Amino acid sequence: MAIALYDYSRKRVTMKAFTSKLVDLTQKNAEAIALQWAKDVKTNAKTYTYHEASDDKIIHQAKDFYNNFQMMFLNESPYEQAEEIFEKYAEERYREGIPLHEALYALILMRRHMWLYAEFQAMFNAELEHRQAVGSLSRTILMFDYIIYVVARKFWKLMKLELLAIKKRSN
Amino acid sequence: MQSYASKLIDLIESKAEGIAKQWAADVMKHERTPSYHSLSKDMVIEQGIDFYKLFRRISLAENSYEEAKTFSWKYAEDFYRKKIPLHEAIYALILMRRNLWLYAEFQGTFVTALEKQQAVESLNRTILMFDYVSYQIIEKYQELIIGSVERRLGAIKTLMMKGQIGGKGSTYKVGLMTIFLLVACILTFYCHATLGTGIIFTHLFYIPIILASIWWGKKGIFAAIFLGVLILTSHALFLKALPFVDDIIRAIMFVLIGGVIGWLMEGIKKVEELY
Repeated sequence: MAIALYDYSRKRVTMKAFTSKLVDLTQKNAEAIALQWAKDVKTNAKTYTYHEASDDKIIHQAKDFYNNFQMMFLNESPYEQAEEIFEKYAEERYREGIPLHEALYALILMRRHMWLYAEFQAMFNAELEHRQAVGSLSRTILMFDYIIYVVARKFWKLMKLELLAIKKRSN
Repeated sequence: MQSYASKLIDLIESKAEGIAKQWAADVMKHERTPSYHSLSKDMVIEQGIDFYKLFRRISLAENSYEEAKTFSWKYAEDFYRKKIPLHEAIYALILMRRNLWLYAEFQGTFVTALEKQQAVESLNRTILMFDYVSYQIIEKYQELIIGSVERRLGAIKTLMMKGQIGGKGSTYKVGLMTIFLLVACILTFYCHATLGTGIIFTHLFYIPIILASIWWGKKGIFAAIFLGVLILTSHALFLKALPFVDDIIRAIMFVLIGGVIGWLMEGIKKVEELY
């Protein structure tokens, strides 16, 4: 029984080490990835509102995001952490007047650039590493699923609140 | 690359109903999709089957983004009409992708090292397709919201005369308001000085008062103040024998109506800006 428990916890630790490889790389190279992301988001047809934004501002935004992402990734309760961090992120984008579909596409691009950077660094090349890649990718996607849900919900709430306030005034 | 991904695509297509049923069971009890709990199970399963069957066409199309619209737009319209909040519709989509992947894992589709490599390719391709679909659904939802707000504001927007006469709406409004106010001055002079009566011609003043508030919001109150001052001055000059009270009440009503409509219009303009 004790051996089984030891084996299980060792497996968990190893698994976590595998999956956190991607997030560690992202955090260490947050600036470079943020730069690539900013270049993309400023030219992508699906993130039109970002085209006029200042470089410094959005790079800073992305760096913050990647740092927060690591915190969330390694947290025991990532969903609760996502609520804590990304509701604020959503509110900021909402106040900046970024439409929801663009804000979410910018997030999708953040995820894509994390992965592209890791691929470019040939991070998951060996056979064993492919297994780690699936683990990393799955966990990263799960985290982004939470973030996207939290951001969409916050936008929806803010839109409803604003409409309610207007309705109240009208009555 | 395509053959790697097609392994997953084949599985999805052949097991569309099974995966859709799993998804429906999941989405209809998940705490982040409460609005789905009361929907008809058949309808939810049908949406799932629709997507899983279309997945091959979307994945292998020359232009996957355009092809994805065949599903995304219908999905967004169906769930918007059923009053499903956007974040729940998106989470249901996330569950759709997750169930697809769980099914593939459960079937032991990617076990060996080589298959794991295929898994990464498949996973990347699947995620890309879902990214397209999510973006299109959100965009469509916003389009539908804007459409419904615009329909509700339709009559008021016509009165607001936005972009009239080659974008010279503002000049047109100022010109029209000047004419209205001029007519009001003539009418007041004619009724008070010539006819010597305070008959109910002042009801006509509500036309420029309401229009000014619709066009310029709170600033429109100046038209009401102008007309209020006009009837009071005219009364003082030409109707000295008649009591002042009626015209004072009329002037107050002008300012009140103008103010309230202007205030409401500010709210409507904010809704417009929001969407």
